[in-house]
Amino acid sequence: MNNWFKQISLVLALVVGTMFSALSFAQDAAVANPQATEGQIWAQLQAGATGETTSHGQFHNQPINTYDLRVLELRSDWLAPALMAALFGMIIIFVLFIKVNGISKLHGGFSGKLVYRWSKFDVSIHWLGAIPCLLLILTGLTLLAGRFFFQPYLGEGFWAALIYGAKQVHDVMAIPFMIGWALMTVLWAKNQLPKMYDLKWMLVVGGYINFGPFKGKHPDAGFANAGEKLWFWAFAIFGLVISASGMLLLFPNLFEPSRTLSLIALILHSVSAIIITAFSIVHIFMATVMSEGGMECMVSGYCDENWATQHHNLWFDEIKADGTLKYKK
Amino acid sequence: MATMKFLCDTKRCIECNGCVTACKNENDSALEWGIQRRRVVTINDGVRGEASISVACMHCTDAPCQAVCPTNCFYKTEDGLTLHNKDTCIGCGYCLYACPFGAPQFPKQGAFGSRGKMDKCTFCAGGPEENHSDAERQKYGANRIAEGKLPMCAELCATKSLLAGDAEVISNIFRERVAYRGSKNAIWG
Repeated sequence: MNNWFKQISLVLALVVGTMFSALSFAQDAAVANPQATEGQIWAQLQAGATGETTSHGQFHNQPINTYDLRVLELRSDWLAPALMAALFGMIIIFVLFIKVNGISKLHGGFSGKLVYRWSKFDVSIHWLGAIPCLLLILTGLTLLAGRFFFQPYLGEGFWAALIYGAKQVHDVMAIPFMIGWALMTVLWAKNQLPKMYDLKWMLVVGGYINFGPFKGKHPDAGFANAGEKLWFWAFAIFGLVISASGMLLLFPNLFEPSRTLSLIALILHSVSAIIITAFSIVHIFMATVMSEGGMECMVSGYCDENWATQHHNLWFDEIKADGTLKYKK
Repeated sequence: MATMKFLCDTKRCIECNGCVTACKNENDSALEWGIQRRRVVTINDGVRGEASISVACMHCTDAPCQAVCPTNCFYKTEDGLTLHNKDTCIGCGYCLYACPFGAPQFPKQGAFGSRGKMDKCTFCAGGPEENHSDAERQKYGANRIAEGKLPMCAELCATKSLLAGDAEVISNIFRERVAYRGSKNAIWG
């Protein structure tokens, strides 16, 4: 283990220290006591002492690596079921919600006049991130929760092929996802800054609830509404965590992470995946089913004028006022 | 039903690496270049308190590698050994991260986690293939357990420092040794 890496693992230890305070770092715990006498050898080994060996195997100079064994249960007992819930649970909740609540229709129907909203480049970076993201969710679910939820129902050969395919797809799709994530995060951030009217939007749940005191409400929204902003920033932050931890796991020969750091990366990767998955399901439902006319934005880059005035009134007023309003010819 | 374990007596280990050689020779058919299933580590080398210990897979009862494996390729044998199926292994490396003893090893170390199939000590008990089949020899090496023999490393240990066998039997041998040594500090280590 080189010193450079020790530095990085120390820095990361400080960052995640609050979350994983119980995890001890083996290298730091290794106390070399040259005056060791009888009975102290075990204590030293248990503390993660390193020594001399003729083996060139990775980490082979350390007989025992010490870390918090609770990370093992965390994966099987909490993260795997949570990722299942984030995907299938959210789908069930949303289907039930739409059955009870109904969708958000355009009040005036479609006007037929299409307003310019996204450039062709914006649409393409969206799908550059989105298609790999969907594949990563499905393959990641197989890698984290598959052995608990799918394997018992599958034949041995089919399972082996499935998990191998999942790993390959997961590894390759990580790259376009990260490019898409980086471009979207950097290029779209200026439209996603929180504003005061976002609070009011939150208070009436965006006007999507069709009963009770929320019925018929149409809160103000700019280019992005408060819900979209929340999704954007969750995606930006957890996209960073998932990309950084994923890079450690994908390129171990480049970053040479310690074993403990790799385990922490695995946990952070899963936690981020759970959050991004849950948000993704909501995002997909909102765009395809819930908000009539919403999907058009990420197909052609244009939206219906009635959709714009109903869901993004402040943005529409603004582009109308400053003359940037462009209709599709 | 036995619960097979290794135990290394650090008071007896002389760092001769006989166990390493025995293992390499016995499992040669399965070992790719650079893989060393057993190694001897010396701590406090050259100073007071120097001690050597032979380390390989400890065949944990509640094995961390088994807990983290995405493919669930690990299994426990009726002898309490932790073995794995190389046909299911995808080379993700999680077992290497989780194992406290550094037992799992990979033939390659490339980007995109292209590590190849994991290899580790089998307690000379082969793998899930048919006993003594060609496939077993090629993937996992020797199967001495099926012949009623103990692992080669322990069998060849010159000072009988490395013990292999049923946990109860070998811990009794060790306890007896400690009692003979007489010093109240001469517990393990």
